[in-house]
Amino acid sequence: MTIVVFLTSLLGSMALGMPIAFALIVCALALMLWLGNFDSQIVAQNMIIGADNFQLLAVPFFLLAGELMNVGGLSKRIVNFALACLGHIHGGLGYVAIVAALILAALSGSAAADTAALAAILIPMMRNAGYDIPRSAGLIAAGGIIAPVIPPSIGFIIFGVAANVSISQLFLAGVVPGLMMGLSLVVAWAIVVRRDKLERAPRASMRERGKAFIDGFFALMMPVLILGGIKWGIVTPTEAAVLAAVYALVIGMFVYRELKPSMLYGVFLTAAKTTAVVMFLVAAALVSAWLITQANIPGEISGLIQPLMGNKTALMFAMMFLVVIVGTALDFSPTVLILTPVLMPIVKQAGIDPVYFGVLFIINNAIGLITPPVGIVLNVVSGVARVPMGAVIRGVNPFLMAQIFVLVLLIVFPDLVMVPLAWLRGR
Amino acid sequence: QFTERNIRLSNGVNEDHPNGKGVDKFRACLADKSGGKMKVQGFWGNALGGDLQATQALRSGTQEMVVTSSSPLIGILPDLGVFDLPFLFANEKEADAILDGSFGKHISDKLETVGLVNLAYWENGFRNLTNSRRPVEKWEDFKGLKVRVMQNNVFLDTFKNMGANAVPMAFGEVFTALETKAIDGQENPFVTIDTSKFYEVQKYLSVTRHAYTPFLVLYSKKLWDGLSKDEQAALRDCAVVSRDEQRKVIRELSQASLDKIKGEGTVVNELNAQEAQRMREQARSVWDKHAATIGPETVKMMQAEIDKVRGK
Amino acid sequence: MVVMVFGNVVLRYLFDTGIDVSEELSRYFFVWLTFIGAVVVGREHAHLGVETLVSRLGDKGRKLCMVLSDLFIIACCAVFFWGTWQQAEINATNYAPITEISMLWIYGVGFFASLGLGLLAALRILRVVSGRMSEQELRAFAGDYSDDAAHALRERLE
Ligand code: NA
Ligand code: NA
Repeated sequence: MTIVVFLTSLLGSMALGMPIAFALIVCALALMLWLGNFDSQIVAQNMIIGADNFQLLAVPFFLLAGELMNVGGLSKRIVNFALACLGHIHGGLGYVAIVAALILAALSGSAAADTAALAAILIPMMRNAGYDIPRSAGLIAAGGIIAPVIPPSIGFIIFGVAANVSISQLFLAGVVPGLMMGLSLVVAWAIVVRRDKLERAPRASMRERGKAFIDGFFALMMPVLILGGIKWGIVTPTEAAVLAAVYALVIGMFVYRELKPSMLYGVFLTAAKTTAVVMFLVAAALVSAWLITQANIPGEISGLIQPLMGNKTALMFAMMFLVVIVGTALDFSPTVLILTPVLMPIVKQAGIDPVYFGVLFIINNAIGLITPPVGIVLNVVSGVARVPMGAVIRGVNPFLMAQIFVLVLLIVFPDLVMVPLAWLRGR
Repeated sequence: QFTERNIRLSNGVNEDHPNGKGVDKFRACLADKSGGKMKVQGFWGNALGGDLQATQALRSGTQEMVVTSSSPLIGILPDLGVFDLPFLFANEKEADAILDGSFGKHISDKLETVGLVNLAYWENGFRNLTNSRRPVEKWEDFKGLKVRVMQNNVFLDTFKNMGANAVPMAFGEVFTALETKAIDGQENPFVTIDTSKFYEVQKYLSVTRHAYTPFLVLYSKKLWDGLSKDEQAALRDCAVVSRDEQRKVIRELSQASLDKIKGEGTVVNELNAQEAQRMREQARSVWDKHAATIGPETVKMMQAEIDKVRGK
Repeated sequence: MVVMVFGNVVLRYLFDTGIDVSEELSRYFFVWLTFIGAVVVGREHAHLGVETLVSRLGDKGRKLCMVLSDLFIIACCAVFFWGTWQQAEINATNYAPITEISMLWIYGVGFFASLGLGLLAALRILRVVSGRMSEQELRAFAGDYSDDAAHALRERLE
């Protein structure tokens, strides 16, 4: 019964068009009334404590780093580098998009920003070379959603904080599955373009490649910095985030010289506002999480799905299916914040490794970014590429399938996540 | 007389910690005394928020009970800082005598003034140092070690005073940081070192017993005042009954954990009496420095009690 | 604000473990940033929401949803404000472990956020009731941000 109160209040208030943060508080108020322990202090206390967390400080700094990269002219150099290497093969611009998406994923945590940057540069080139545009837009969207899986990732940070799981471990664990997502796109792209008549770019000389590499070198160093920082001693994700922001600032201002001091105010302001959006959501989610726990909603659910509790694979399938459903209708961070307190106790009870769950959960949420009706990355690519939404949805389909296939593989073979993680941790 | 009640009790540790056994005993005892009317609903692993948050919820009357370490609460009652002082108790016997005696009562009385009823002191265990560089046998061995310590002025000063580098860090990141050698060491009770598998990434365990912070078993004063005399008596009695159980279980487990850590190949060293005494003297300045914030009267009283149990 | 938080953590880098207060202080700046920022972003209607249903409604339906959701928001803010008020004493008597500043300084931001966000909602109801709701604002409420720069925030986040 408590579940019904929880769902009705949450979905009802979201349907009114209320900001999700407030819908979460309304849901908390409804649960308090239902449980008969209404107390406004519960709201006030959890709101503030929700925002008071040193680990979450990584969020503004990674956002800032991404923002600085954006205006610092990095995406362009990365695309140029990929183009010099891959432009001459059949369907080359598609592979360029995938490789550039993977590199950008290791620089920023935002799928939509990566997608926008790539689409803006690549779609005009693809149009000129005779590529099917809705399909190309679909590929770029599917490439963009790798961003939250490969560190840095705001998704891993808020999941790590909400689920009390090591963010460093999540970061390291995301690398290989993220690369697998990229690989699945390569395969899907090779299949769909095999019969297309496409114009190829001339093969770049070694000299041109070398120049593109040197040009993009500082951008390519960023993932080394973040992952290496966590692996070899900078330690906490928060500190790695600060380092990344400082690095991006220095590169943008003194190496690429595209970042002017006058632009800094705008960059800082945007980062601060974006931070406020996500943090206010996190704060409100803590209020509802407190009541979800109090009302024992996870217990009620695990009672409902009792037959699945003994079979980890079946349970993972069930939970991932739920995430897909929720992900069609909700944005990324709200899904993470709403489902984590509900699912984590079940994950723990069933003996599933929390880091493994976290990686699949975030991949699944990323996939939600390209499933209609609410898929912000679809909106972005449709806007930037000037392709109608319906066409983008059709275009993204083969790539969506490829990524769901990766997800299924990871559910069936957990070692695909765990073995590389053990290796990255150096053991 | 007794009324139907659901007592929400939160814990920072997980249910498999000896506190789980303590709470089981507490629950059974209460059910027995109240004829099944007083029920205990346990929340584990910070599910209702951290120790400080839960304690604040008690003060505002939105939650009934918490079993919390004393350290996070020094912002509410500075006197609790006395339990953070380094090398406070030499062994469990001293700790029991002082906590269950007049000094424990003195602190409990002070807790009432900030809206908290302390029902009993449970055991968290002595904290010991692990690291990946060298056995710590004398205080000079601390020098230059990067150690993760709890975010607390007394702890920070204790380690700085020994010459170590104190690094603040969320507990969840400690394992990875130790593994990547970003930090050299950490300090926790044996049970935590065992359950968090720190022995996998740490070569040395030195039985420093440098701190003993008890668990407080707290009840919200606001809600307490609404209980009948019988209910209050039942809660107090059961907290004591379960205290004895919790201490028994944690001491057995502590020994088992130490054996396991040794079995995993960690090099364990005890301090010899003379070096332990030197450390205690070295740490003296931390006592003096913090006496004023903690409350000179409380520190003096603690000192007197210790002298008494040590038979000086 | 970001500059301050940023500077603080950078300092921690330069001085290694020298400044114990920096973690605590940057956390508190961060809390302030979050809640002050929440009001600023609220003013730009840029908090994340679900517009799937509202976008299918006509102007009347949208206005009704707007008023209803603003009433709920005001209720939430009232609870938030009252809770902060009731907690004021226990926070005033709780001091941060390192910097030893009163926690009321941190929690007090709840007053600002609840008043600010509540006021914004109340003003919007007033605009609807008095018929001064602009076309653009109503469209933004239904998720059509085509002429709204603030919405770009969402694209930076997800
Ligand atoms: Na990323
Ligand atoms: Na979606």
